[in-house]
Amino acid sequence: MKRLTAVVATLFSLAVVFPIAYSISASFFQWADFTAIPARLLPSVPTFDNYRRAFSESNLLVFLSNSLYSALVGTVVRMTISILGAYAFTFFSFKGKNFFFILIVATMLLPPDALILENYTTIRTLRLTDTYLGIISTTLLAPTHLFMLRQYFLTVSREYREAAVLEGCSDSRFLTTLLIPISKAVIITLAIHSFSTIFNDYLWPLLVTNREMMRTVQVGLTMLGFSENLDYGPQFAAITLLMSPILITFIALHKPIQDSVSTRFTGR
Amino acid sequence: MKRLFITLTVCLMALTHLTALAQRESAERDVVTITWWHPNSGIAGKATDVLIDRFNTTIGAEQGIVVRGVYQGKANDVLTKTKAIMQSPITDDLPDLVQLDGAAVLDVRDDKSLITIDRLAQADGYDLSQILEAARLSVTYKQEMIAMPFNSSTILLYYNKSAFDEAGIKAPPRTLDELTSIAVKLKQTDAKGKTVRYGFANVPTTYELMCWLGQQNGLSYLTDEENGHTGVPTRVLFDENGTMVNFLTKWKALYNTGSLENLTSDLNGAFASGRVAMIVASTSNLTTIEQMVGSRFELGVAPFPMVDEQATGGVNVGGGALWVLDNKSGHQRQTWEFVKFLASEQSQLYWHIETGYFPINRNTYELDQFKAHIQQNPRAAVAIDQLLSSNPRLQGIWVPSAYQIYYAFQSGILKMLEEDRGVEETSRAIAREINGYFAEFIRMQQ
Amino acid sequence: MKLRYPQWTKPYLLIAPALALAVLFSYRPFVLTVLNSLYTVSLSGKRITFIGFDNYIRLFANPSFQASLYNTLRFTLFFVPINITICLSAALLSNRPGRLATLNQIFFFLPMAVSLSSSMMILKMMFNPSIGIINQLLHLDVQWFNNRHAAMALLVFAGVGLDIGLNFLLLSAALRNVPTDLLEVARIEGANSVQTFRYLQGPLISSTLLFVVVTNIKDAMLISSPVMILTEGGPFRSTQTLVYQMYLEGFKSGNYAIGSTIATVVFTLTFSILLLLLHLERRRVYYQ
Repeated sequence: MKRLTAVVATLFSLAVVFPIAYSISASFFQWADFTAIPARLLPSVPTFDNYRRAFSESNLLVFLSNSLYSALVGTVVRMTISILGAYAFTFFSFKGKNFFFILIVATMLLPPDALILENYTTIRTLRLTDTYLGIISTTLLAPTHLFMLRQYFLTVSREYREAAVLEGCSDSRFLTTLLIPISKAVIITLAIHSFSTIFNDYLWPLLVTNREMMRTVQVGLTMLGFSENLDYGPQFAAITLLMSPILITFIALHKPIQDSVSTRFTGR
Repeated sequence: MKRLFITLTVCLMALTHLTALAQRESAERDVVTITWWHPNSGIAGKATDVLIDRFNTTIGAEQGIVVRGVYQGKANDVLTKTKAIMQSPITDDLPDLVQLDGAAVLDVRDDKSLITIDRLAQADGYDLSQILEAARLSVTYKQEMIAMPFNSSTILLYYNKSAFDEAGIKAPPRTLDELTSIAVKLKQTDAKGKTVRYGFANVPTTYELMCWLGQQNGLSYLTDEENGHTGVPTRVLFDENGTMVNFLTKWKALYNTGSLENLTSDLNGAFASGRVAMIVASTSNLTTIEQMVGSRFELGVAPFPMVDEQATGGVNVGGGALWVLDNKSGHQRQTWEFVKFLASEQSQLYWHIETGYFPINRNTYELDQFKAHIQQNPRAAVAIDQLLSSNPRLQGIWVPSAYQIYYAFQSGILKMLEEDRGVEETSRAIAREINGYFAEFIRMQQ
Repeated sequence: MKLRYPQWTKPYLLIAPALALAVLFSYRPFVLTVLNSLYTVSLSGKRITFIGFDNYIRLFANPSFQASLYNTLRFTLFFVPINITICLSAALLSNRPGRLATLNQIFFFLPMAVSLSSSMMILKMMFNPSIGIINQLLHLDVQWFNNRHAAMALLVFAGVGLDIGLNFLLLSAALRNVPTDLLEVARIEGANSVQTFRYLQGPLISSTLLFVVVTNIKDAMLISSPVMILTEGGPFRSTQTLVYQMYLEGFKSGNYAIGSTIATVVFTLTFSILLLLLHLERRRVYYQ
């Protein structure tokens, strides 16, 4: 039974990771390998030419640094706002609490694509086009994160905080020395999610950046493609380059994630 | 608590700092910078950069003009972006020049930022008759040339010549009747009766119907207002003038032979893999299809098949054009210099050789280099001969809700084939749906 | 300098940034959108005449909208259960000790590392009917982009691919938080794995599961980007979803009033579903 579970889980996980493995392999394809019949899993003769072209035919490094910078700053601000909000909604009683909570969480139901034109007008009126703030502005509020964090904070008894406050512990001390450490698992998970969400955004950065040097890497990716003639090589090379740092981070970080995830706390 | 707020303040300050990081490039004195937004990537992107560079080092250097090409994503993204700025109160972020495809005409033609090519040419004494008539009319609205055609293409029949030879077929089909009889001969089934090769694959798109309906009786309009070129169309004409019924009758006959596959995407792949023996596709796909087919079989190209012997109108010009916009910079003269450069015989020759888009400048066709190039590329010659022998007044339709209309055509025709509806009934149903979109558009503008 | 705030202002100050962002980037544009849905709006985005609910009446009579509504509901009905089943199985199957299990877990959340545009580009190539690797490897002859059912299946598959990383992490984290001593007791009592899940793990991860279900329904009702990149609503409108049609009407056809009307309908639909689920959750909590 145990062995069966292991076999099924392994086959299943291989299927999930197959597209990633395939694109890494495809990034070394010769041009003709893409149109080969039967289709190829591995390159006929591995080539680095796609990587060379991906770099030489675009400012991939500039795009990458723009993306990394906005994703990093965006994540920090986003997590700060979410933690503060969730903290208030969990540990305080105040007038209009439920109303404000619903008000904030309900924004996750407003399709961002529907609001993009009006938001773009706002950004232009504020003169924030071609700025990093413009790129991250609409992603700074993460209602799902606030909701998730509140769900987790709810598992921490309110009496903890009351006891802490009685003993003269300030809110910031309670947050930084108790609440955040015990919620490390969910915070790391959400931060990773935030990072990749901002990093992976496409349409919004395309709209708010007009100068090439402000482009994010997702936008830059489509510049490599000459989709009409199936020139997928540089595309796959860029995709691979792009996802490798995140893949490596994920693989390297799996330990802290696993550890913090196993930090058990009682409750629901 | 206090520390929290300080942290928050620091964060917010860091954010305001972010806005300062991206300062606008300060323009050098005495040099005018022209911005051109385009959707050209890959081969076309490289050719674009070369053309910009040629201009900047010659005419640009003499007159103090620097052109900056900005790739703004796919054609749709360029339009989305341009429209978003046009609709906002501040329009000085608009580029001086933007390259948009046919679907954009309705959004841009009435915008107050648009400066028409007619006005620019008149002020400069530029002779617009050097632009190919069919291309010129493809951007003419109410008798005024509103943009400069640039990445222009038409449509061709691509066929598997090796399969033709095996089946003993001597020549590619000229009409839909011939196409049907040839498709039947090309169809192959395996032992289980499953079709392994179809004669032809297509579900007619708006663009293909513009040709197949428009070419009938020398020239037929699909909608009133001359396909929307003299005003906003209010109703379709193809149900009244019988062109749709005539086409659908031929199409249904083709489908009933079982040799037509209803494919809407990946036609190039289906053709290159040998699954389909004939397709129709844009001339801009020529290089791609040549590369994909490789040495698998011999590729042939032929003029787009006519509906019947009376359908002599030929094909129309598709693709994109350059639009000059007023962004309050006052650089229209300099932008116009660059447009003239792009439309010149030499630029058009280079653009054609690199990308396969056909030259829009008539003088290019007289160049020896062009003649030599055409001789070496007989397939490109087929496309150009076809275009030059077409009725230049056969033009694309400019209609609102283009995407809905695209699906109205395809879904209507598919329904007819799969549910065996009558041709008259289908023609009426498609007309009714499209007329509804026209009415909706007019209602919104009042 | 010592900053002093009255105690009661504290929670308000804490939620102020979130609130400000919600108003600026969600509610203000949303109100403008709702307003547009009650007017005729010109190509340049100006509201012209107030027409009440006329846009809504026309919208519901429009065959294209009916198709979008049907497709969106169909997608949600397929996607949510399939996605939850797959993500939960992944979490349950890899919730065991050992190095191999760790490797499985890493593989399950790795898709999170691939951006939406990248993974859609990868899928488009892999599912190419004539030269793609999927048809070749599995000896299939499925016209993924030409067959209405296949295209919908592909979209569901793409949706799972996009969601599996995060869902897996959340569910797996919740499963790991089920106290091991309780699992031990269950094992000693002779409970099989189905019973363990039904009576122990299931209830204990219910709040996470609820969250995952809610976000999945929301994602499914709002799906647009994969449609945009993979199928463009085709073939024959079979994958045209509500938000995609909204994009077509609002951005491509310049019909802002109808685009805004669709946005409002989408909002109302998803909002009611969320309220219903929150209501169910509250009842559950009380009866526990």
